[in-house]
Amino acid sequence: MQSSFDFDAIVVGSGVTGGWAAKELTEKGLKVLILERGKPLEHGKDYVTEHMEPWKIPFGGKPNRELYARDYPIQSNCYAFDETTRHFWNNDRENPYVFDKEKPFYWLRADVVGGKSLMWGRQVYRWSDLDFEANKKDGHGIDWPIRYNDIKDWYSYVEKTIGVSGQAENLSQLPDSEFQPAMQMNSVEKVIKQRIEAAYKERKMTIGRVANLTEPLGDRGACHYCGVCQRGCSVGAYFSSHSCTLPAARKTGNLSLRANSVVEGLDYDPASKRIAAVRVIDSVTKEKSRITARMVFLCASTVGSVQILLNSKSESFPNGLANRSGTLGQYMMDHTDNISAIGITGEFPGKYYYGIRPNGIYLPRFRNLKGRDTDVDFERGYGFQGMAMPLEWKASAAQTPGFGVAFKNALRQPKLWVMALAGFGECLPYKDNRILLDDKLVDRYGIPQVRFEITYRDNELRMQADATKQAAEMLKAAKMGFVMPVGKGGPPGSAIHEMGGARMGLDPKQSVLNAHNQAHDISNLFVTDGSCMASSSCVNPSLTFMALTARAADYAVTQLRAGKV
Amino acid sequence: MNRREILKIAAAIMGAGLSGSLSQNVLAGLSPTAKPSRAIFNANSSKTVAVLAEMIIPKTDTPGAIEAGAPAFIEMMVADWFNDDERKIFFAGMASLDDFCKEQFKKSFLACDEEQRTAALKDSEKSALSYKSAAPAVDISQKYVDPNTPFFTKLKELTVLGYFTSEVGAKQALSYNPMPMRYEGDYDFDKVGREWSW
Repeated sequence: MQSSFDFDAIVVGSGVTGGWAAKELTEKGLKVLILERGKPLEHGKDYVTEHMEPWKIPFGGKPNRELYARDYPIQSNCYAFDETTRHFWNNDRENPYVFDKEKPFYWLRADVVGGKSLMWGRQVYRWSDLDFEANKKDGHGIDWPIRYNDIKDWYSYVEKTIGVSGQAENLSQLPDSEFQPAMQMNSVEKVIKQRIEAAYKERKMTIGRVANLTEPLGDRGACHYCGVCQRGCSVGAYFSSHSCTLPAARKTGNLSLRANSVVEGLDYDPASKRIAAVRVIDSVTKEKSRITARMVFLCASTVGSVQILLNSKSESFPNGLANRSGTLGQYMMDHTDNISAIGITGEFPGKYYYGIRPNGIYLPRFRNLKGRDTDVDFERGYGFQGMAMPLEWKASAAQTPGFGVAFKNALRQPKLWVMALAGFGECLPYKDNRILLDDKLVDRYGIPQVRFEITYRDNELRMQADATKQAAEMLKAAKMGFVMPVGKGGPPGSAIHEMGGARMGLDPKQSVLNAHNQAHDISNLFVTDGSCMASSSCVNPSLTFMALTARAADYAVTQLRAGKV
Repeated sequence: MNRREILKIAAAIMGAGLSGSLSQNVLAGLSPTAKPSRAIFNANSSKTVAVLAEMIIPKTDTPGAIEAGAPAFIEMMVADWFNDDERKIFFAGMASLDDFCKEQFKKSFLACDEEQRTAALKDSEKSALSYKSAAPAVDISQKYVDPNTPFFTKLKELTVLGYFTSEVGAKQALSYNPMPMRYEGDYDFDKVGREWSW
């Protein structure tokens, strides 16, 4: 076996999970190199639009249509994409991928160090055994190799490190986190909560659990409620790799980070049955290099990591690295994500708010909690994010007829509030919801393009329909003046909760990774981003990715020290 | 407030898009000193646009559209943001105001008095009301506006956007407070008296 290495560990990707892997591994004394395909970005200094005054934002905040149509036709669909954040996002024209017109997939990607952790929605929720046992109980997908107890302490550890504000509710389907003080609901949400909970005894509306600090944490300041997190936060009030994990890793003196570094594939050595090297292309010079390490953590995003594995073919692994099971790229999932219903009320004309809350409300799953409910036609369930907000000038101006003094005065004070509920539905793992490498098309580095073949099926659509119906009924129960069911959302990928493709499992014949995110066949390869997921739950997944990463890093170092990696 | 009006408001909200954080859909603006990349208005159309903008948002106890720099914003958007079709609709709309005034009052729009100009703009609004947008009313991915909306709709939208996203609008018509430092969910509107700019 090789005796000298460039690094102890290489982490591919610097987003939510790459940052966590680097932090844990460096703090345990390993020399770590992060390879990030995106551009360099410095915390604070490069948040060039942070607190940009409204009058300095191009085109009054309207989309630069020509540019978006040419360079950002996919990315510009994201709510967090606009002229104040465009510099963080991937250029679609330069990074093409493949899907059939009838089966679109939105692959939303960052193009900077820190990845999507810069622009993420920051909602964090624990899984419960309702989620970890779901595959086993209803037979979709394969059983998870872990249960809530295996990850519980890692959730706590991650939450205390990243800072999570929220309200303890003691719900079995949504375990409480380690909370900083909760943000307030606004006065309209408070009334709606009361009315929904009175009408539905088994339902609960709580404030969103969010990785924004309500109290200072270490060097990081508390939220100042400016409301535009996705532009970057120089006081580090929300969790990102830049505010939390990368500084911690740098502090150890053990971290190296190379931006503009596209990983083409991993080299497998059949003699030692280990990853021998990582093949890298410099995105600026196009220069190729090979870097060696004792172990590799793939944290390149769900699709990115699967692409790297599929593109790492050898005699030993002709169908992609760690793919003896043949399941690599299969069982891909996202969450259905759409406004289910909105309601409008004129009941609270004098109510307003102070500060822009970077958070909404959450209405946890209430379907199929104890086996299949008798009155539903789908497996598993959904939760709602939501928010009540007053209709301010931009909404009211377009609807207020006329012009002149009366028109101007009519815009002075919001008269109506709108309440929206957006359902996030669990998607089942299907073998033929998959990504693969296109056999002809390559990208600008010569790497085969990813082809997406992912659609929602009957279970997802029935669940979405129920979420729409329930949301509308709850808003009616909350005495909203006008309720409009909506229901339809974007294509898969829209929730940016893509998961699966290199799932964990007990059986190497049916899964890519073991219970510690380690490749079944390759002791020094760990994959800890969303690709490891064997099912999708209905809650936002990033917290679980982080907890799994920290857990896997702990295991990896223990194994390394025992000479087993 | 009838059902139809509320529906329209709801549609506008949907257009703003909602994911985890509705509040993150930043409403934004431009400096009142914004300059179009090329001069697109002659002296006459510049003056006409300024008059129209001020008619939509006049000076009251708070500044009007001209003081906020909305006319320059409108010219920049017409020159640099509109596509050819939208630009055509805009210029045709201004011309039709003149046509209306010449027919009704035998003089150009700018030569008319306030009452006559108001009649002309009301006529423009009336014809705009009959327009039915081809864009679906409820579509959360509707990030791009309907390019075929009539002149009055375009003029009003740009005036309102230019006004409220200007520094004058943000600080005087709205309340600009980029560092609130705390969140209070139960806050009487009267304590601030104006909507927030953010």
